[in-house]
Amino acid sequence: MTVPSDIHPLLAVENLSCAVPGPAGAMRILTDVSFTLPHATALGIVGESGAGKSMLVKTIMDIAPSRAAVTGAVRLDGTALQSLDTRTRRTTLGRRVGMVFQNPMTSLNPFVRVGRQVEEASRKHLGLDRRAAREKAIALLRAVGIPDAAECYHGFPHQFSGGMKQRIMIATALACDPELLIADEATTALDATVQKDILDLLQTLQQRRRMSMILVTHNLGVVAGRTDEVIVMYGGRLVEHAPTERLFASPRHRYTAALLSAMPRIDQPAHTRLATIPGQPPSLAHPEPGCPFAPRCPAAIDACRAAMPPMTVSADGRHRFACHVPLDAGISGDASVRQPEAANV
Amino acid sequence: MSTLEAHPVSAGEKPLAAPRRLRWPRLTLAEAFSFLFLLLLIAGAIFADRIPGLVRPNFPYGDFSRPPEWSINGLFGTDGLGRSIFSRILHGARATLTIVGIATLISLGFGLLLGMLAGYYRGIIERFVDLFANTVAALPPILVILALLTATGPSVTTMTLALGFLEIGTYARIAKGGVISQYDRDYILAARALGASDARILLREILPNLMPTLAALVPPLMAGLIITEGSLSFLGYGIAPPAPSWGGMIADSTDLLSRFPLLIFGPILTIVCTVFALNTVGDYLSRRIDRREKQL
Amino acid sequence: MRSAGSTYLRAAGTRLLAGIPVFVLVTFAATALSDLMPGSAAQTILGENATLEQIAALNAEYGYDRPAVIRYLDWLGGLARGDLGYTLFSRQPVAELLVNRAAVTFEIALLAMLVSLLLAIPLAMVSAARAGGLVDSTLSAVTSFLLSIPTFVSVVVLSYVFSIVLRWLPATGWVSPFVDPLGNLMFVALPVLSLSVHQSAYFFRVARSQFAATLQEDFVLVARAKGLSTSYIMLRHALRPSLPQVLTVLGLSMTFLLGGSFIVESYFAVPGIGWTVLNAVKNHDLPVVQAILSLTVVIFVVVFILVDLGYALIDPRVQAT
Repeated sequence: MTVPSDIHPLLAVENLSCAVPGPAGAMRILTDVSFTLPHATALGIVGESGAGKSMLVKTIMDIAPSRAAVTGAVRLDGTALQSLDTRTRRTTLGRRVGMVFQNPMTSLNPFVRVGRQVEEASRKHLGLDRRAAREKAIALLRAVGIPDAAECYHGFPHQFSGGMKQRIMIATALACDPELLIADEATTALDATVQKDILDLLQTLQQRRRMSMILVTHNLGVVAGRTDEVIVMYGGRLVEHAPTERLFASPRHRYTAALLSAMPRIDQPAHTRLATIPGQPPSLAHPEPGCPFAPRCPAAIDACRAAMPPMTVSADGRHRFACHVPLDAGISGDASVRQPEAANV
Repeated sequence: MSTLEAHPVSAGEKPLAAPRRLRWPRLTLAEAFSFLFLLLLIAGAIFADRIPGLVRPNFPYGDFSRPPEWSINGLFGTDGLGRSIFSRILHGARATLTIVGIATLISLGFGLLLGMLAGYYRGIIERFVDLFANTVAALPPILVILALLTATGPSVTTMTLALGFLEIGTYARIAKGGVISQYDRDYILAARALGASDARILLREILPNLMPTLAALVPPLMAGLIITEGSLSFLGYGIAPPAPSWGGMIADSTDLLSRFPLLIFGPILTIVCTVFALNTVGDYLSRRIDRREKQL
Repeated sequence: MRSAGSTYLRAAGTRLLAGIPVFVLVTFAATALSDLMPGSAAQTILGENATLEQIAALNAEYGYDRPAVIRYLDWLGGLARGDLGYTLFSRQPVAELLVNRAAVTFEIALLAMLVSLLLAIPLAMVSAARAGGLVDSTLSAVTSFLLSIPTFVSVVVLSYVFSIVLRWLPATGWVSPFVDPLGNLMFVALPVLSLSVHQSAYFFRVARSQFAATLQEDFVLVARAKGLSTSYIMLRHALRPSLPQVLTVLGLSMTFLLGGSFIVESYFAVPGIGWTVLNAVKNHDLPVVQAILSLTVVIFVVVFILVDLGYALIDPRVQAT
């Protein structure tokens, strides 16, 4: 592990935009996303499907589809990745950032032995010889909770269940002792009972290895208690960014509030009808001026439909949101959108 | 996570109308060339006798093995007997296109009939179609036709019928698959509920939907037939000399290849362009179907 | 869980079963061929001037005066003993002739497959790795041109270039690899190249589209996220999953190669199956034609069983069963 530098955040994303050509013109998947992620910090990225969160991490990892037009900058420890040549950029990312994908069933190559898939990055980037790589791979497999790690090393992916496969994927992502681990909907495809195990494993690994982690999810319950900060995305834009507890306690953006009220909560009586957000996610092909949430927002005013609200930063600089009619800080309750108190999911 | 109710709010949403008629995609350069070439070839084959100044294919009109020159008869040179290669190519096209056209009509007609029955009624007819298609797939067509010619002796009729017969299985299998995939669609069920007869359902509802797929299949299969016919004529078992044939002309000119290599240029160019054009047109037609499937 | 492995093995068994009716149909039709002859089969075979005794002798040996079903049962009985009868004129045992000639055709067909694969697979990888790029579009144009060249054109053009103009290779002839291995290679070079023109273009097309499909898989995205190089990903991650499709096409190409052997062997005077059939057609040598038709069906069935077993070798999900 490289020594964390004090000057630069581990990851800095600056004005990242991304468009892909679609049947009805270019689709703006990401618009002007900026944030920084300090060392050894866990960040949640939350949003509905189509909010652009998966594309955001793929763009950071430089594995967006080649037809995607990307602008903006991604800095890793102060180095702008775009300034590197393709080979160095890929190698740098492969070594310093690990990534776990949504579907463990298709993320492991069924034709390649598990061991090779776990160790290939470390052999390439760390220059380990065969034996060292194997020892490391087996140790990693053990660390992610696979009982017969040595046997697993020689096995093929089809011999394992979905949960086990995702553990293997995590071992694979840790092969080069990354400083940042990105988990892109890493538990969505798994059984509910397995989801929690995997999330706990990710959290434990993040804390024990003192690495940063980005947890991408559509489920607010996943980031609660597991992340230090949360980013809420809507329509390809970052709409709110705050420390996790603060976001749950007093969301400022109307969309975040709506999302929170749509969450099942343990302190409510059973069979409470969940609030819903009426309407559909915005069209990325034909973005309208103004706030993308305005058509669905109960509090929308004319200004919301006319111009995109600028990013407002709280006094201590730790809470950012883009809303013309934000909820009051610390005051719960609103006529149209129920706002929950601190969530403890 | 929030339960999202679908209210028709979002902008930019257009109602998805399923187009009844297939649109024609834009032609690429190669596709435009292919259509033009085939049109010219067919016209040349039909009007070969009436082109002013063009000599008869068997008429020794000039010196032996003259290289190509800028005149209608000498465009591709003259062959070993002084006959116009260009004239022979056009008359050869007439023979080839007739043979391949008849064979295609036979295979398309019987293939459609068998395939539709097999797809609609399944059972024994389907088994028969499968067996037939499997058998034909196992044998090179040229071997089957040669085997038949062992018994009957060289004969253009045998060859034409056999070419058509062998391709029945291919069309039948595709037609069968098309029927099976449509069998449970709503419009078929609706027609059946209205008491339409099987024949009416097959002809009025199913057949029109099979046509685009089959239309895309015809040109490349015709290209295959042209190659098989050319091969047989090349081997001396197809169109018998002195009647002109592309395969026969190529075989003839190989004797003189070392001294007059240019004379082989015309027949080779023609057959390669024909096969290329047919394959390209086939690709174009299947592109048209793919587009429809994407739109739906 | 029903594994992919047992599926492949079951498929191999199904192919064998499906092959039996095909074999019966083809061999019976081959026996019945003589009934297609105008007038008496024996008369046609022996020609106008044959005496009654000659005709009677031919009928006595080959049974052309008996119904096709009887002759077919006879032939099946002979097949069980490994006896396929004698050729009509050279009086050789058909089985022995077939083994010798098939070896020649197989050498050429297998070499043509090998050459085509060695050309097609690497080019397909390069092409698929940068789909839509310059290499890709150039190769796609070149292959659609190559696919339009019939074998009887490629034999003529290649022999003109390599034996008439360059004089590198002999125009016609044959020597057994056991007599003169190097000479054998010189003689097979042109036949093999002629068959490879179409084959390599065909393999390229199939392999390219298969590689392109494999590159869309999630595990390739994972490999890219690991920072592995494109060439490593192609070789280590994309090659093996793409092979089953290539293998299928390899099996299908056997029919094409056998068909091509007629042209190639007649043009380069190579004594293989195609050459043998062409001579048999001239002489109405029905026992030879019948045996070769049967052999072709057997080859087809065997090749596809091998293909199914090949899937089982390629796909690790098989070994679990």
